Amino acid sequence: MSADGAAAGLRWPCAAACLAALAGCATFSDTIQSTERSLAQQQPKAALAEYEKLKPNAADRVLYLMNTGMLQRMCGDYDASTRTLEATKRQIEDLRALSLREQALSVTVNDATKSFIGEDFERVMVNNYLALNYLERGQLDAARVEALQVDILLREKQQRTSKDNPYQEDAFARYLTGIIYEDEGEWSDAMIAYRKAYEAYTRQLKSFGVAMPETLKHDLIRLADRMGIADEAKRYREEFKIDQTLSEADLLERGEIIFVVNAGLAPLKRERAVTAPNLATGRIVRVAVPQYRPRAHPFAYARLSADSATASTSRVENVEAIAMKTLDSEIAGITARAIARAIAKDTIAGAASAAGSNNNSSGAAGAALIGLAVNLAGVLTERADTRSWFTLPGDIHLARLVLPPGDYKLKIDLHATDERVLESKEVKISLRKGEKKYLSQHWIPTNLEVRP
Amino acid sequence: MSGYRWLRAGLALVALVAVSACATKVERLDESKAVDLSGGWNDTDSRLVSQEMITDSLSRPWLQEFRGRPGQNRPAVIVGEVRNMSHEHINTQTFTLEMERALINSGKVDFVATKAERQGVRDERKDQDLNAREDTRNAMGRELGADFMLTGSINTIVDPNGDTQVLFYQVNMTLISLADNRKVWVGQKDIRKLVTRSKMRF
Repeated sequence: MSADGAAAGLRWPCAAACLAALAGCATFSDTIQSTERSLAQQQPKAALAEYEKLKPNAADRVLYLMNTGMLQRMCGDYDASTRTLEATKRQIEDLRALSLREQALSVTVNDATKSFIGEDFERVMVNNYLALNYLERGQLDAARVEALQVDILLREKQQRTSKDNPYQEDAFARYLTGIIYEDEGEWSDAMIAYRKAYEAYTRQLKSFGVAMPETLKHDLIRLADRMGIADEAKRYREEFKIDQTLSEADLLERGEIIFVVNAGLAPLKRERAVTAPNLATGRIVRVAVPQYRPRAHPFAYARLSADSATASTSRVENVEAIAMKTLDSEIAGITARAIARAIAKDTIAGAASAAGSNNNSSGAAGAALIGLAVNLAGVLTERADTRSWFTLPGDIHLARLVLPPGDYKLKIDLHATDERVLESKEVKISLRKGEKKYLSQHWIPTNLEVRP
Repeated sequence: MSGYRWLRAGLALVALVAVSACATKVERLDESKAVDLSGGWNDTDSRLVSQEMITDSLSRPWLQEFRGRPGQNRPAVIVGEVRNMSHEHINTQTFTLEMERALINSGKVDFVATKAERQGVRDERKDQDLNAREDTRNAMGRELGADFMLTGSINTIVDPNGDTQVLFYQVNMTLISLADNRKVWVGQKDIRKLVTRSKMRF
């Protein structure tokens, strides 16, 4: 074997090895089992400790921060969660520019080599949960900052995406910003946000299956009355068949509890792959794309009661449906890219064995071996991008309970679809006149489907 | 074996680059030099606002008018709330403190402790009452009441379009007379920025 032959023989396996090292054989989401197990065992603190052991690479940093922020929230550490989610926003901002290096890798290795910045809905959720964190800590003005940021984010998104994209608006984000503006006493902004939520719920009913929340119906009538828009108030009254609702003036004489339940966990992304031999060339071809697996949970609604007043939650956001529809709208592009990648990898493997056999000193057996090594590297690195914010809830529910000022023992019962009580607890709460208190809870079933 | 030599040289080069990229670099900046990194609110904006507000508030007639009143010398001002109504989390203390410092040092205005600061001072006075020598004791109930309250707000308008956005910040500061709710001075500073986000990165 001549020196040149040895060098050529070295170059191809070396390139293949580099390719394999670069791609990493497991994507980020594959290493989360123990976190999920702890969550199902109702031990968010253990889940956070497990998760923080992960050392994410640069491309997975945003995903790591999103999950950490959510787990900190589940542990009740709102300040830490706020810090983490604010860092998430900054990181996303830095990564939004297109990276040529990552684009090249995603074409030649796999999609999981691209920096994760989350889907549009995941980015909106960062603002939503920051707003909730601030509200629960009583920082209304800081929550208002998030409301404005969500508005900018959604405006940008509407410029970018086509009209037929099912996720043009985020109904819950609009509803939450309406609540924030109303709490600030900015009636016209609140009215506009409630109206946008109303439009979003109406338009997205078919795609996401979330009916208009009961509370929003009353909010629309109350604000329209407050603004003196008589015909709009009348239209809402007729549409919702509601005659009586509390006026804004009466509401300001009382206190209000706004309660949010984050139920279940968002669907998991898994890999769906086809590996087949190409009979013409004798090489193996592999195409892998992501697929969502929904995770069902039995939570139906929560009932709040204090003294004789009661209120039930309505579903305000179906994260699961939004996630699945988002992937549906992207899957054609992802598949096309995966096929193009398979062709590119096959071409490289073909070129490798040809380069080997042209070098007459290495012989036919050596050429076949080099070709096989490159082919194998290409197939092994073909992984679907299965990264998603898996600690998001499957859906979000909200209730508003109006009470006269005073001290209360608030009873919270979580009900299943078959009316069974899943969880029950009591919270001591005191309300001043005109005060709004925000509470939230994460509920994760014990029989959570854990990724094998 | 030229192939191996190239490989070795290449590896050495990679190692060199990896090592040299590790050291943290610190460069001291002049306070007045504008450095814009993200396009958001930063120290330069805060400084521009405080400068504008300081020169404006000291040159307006409210000060002369107050000092012209019989028995009045320097107005006492208390810092109220500067509300952040913008789309960014902004620490408004950086320019209210700057303003407070400049106004006190001008010798024309007194500032009294804010609500949060007062409590600590009162606790200390209570403690003096019990523990300090009689001739050094400061009595309760002799605080200087403020004549004016300084309040304000930051508002923003954002006009995003793809990778470019126009940011408009408007900071308003108001001095309100505590005696009769009269607004004696309103200062305003507008800042406009065009932020173009990079389309490419490594």
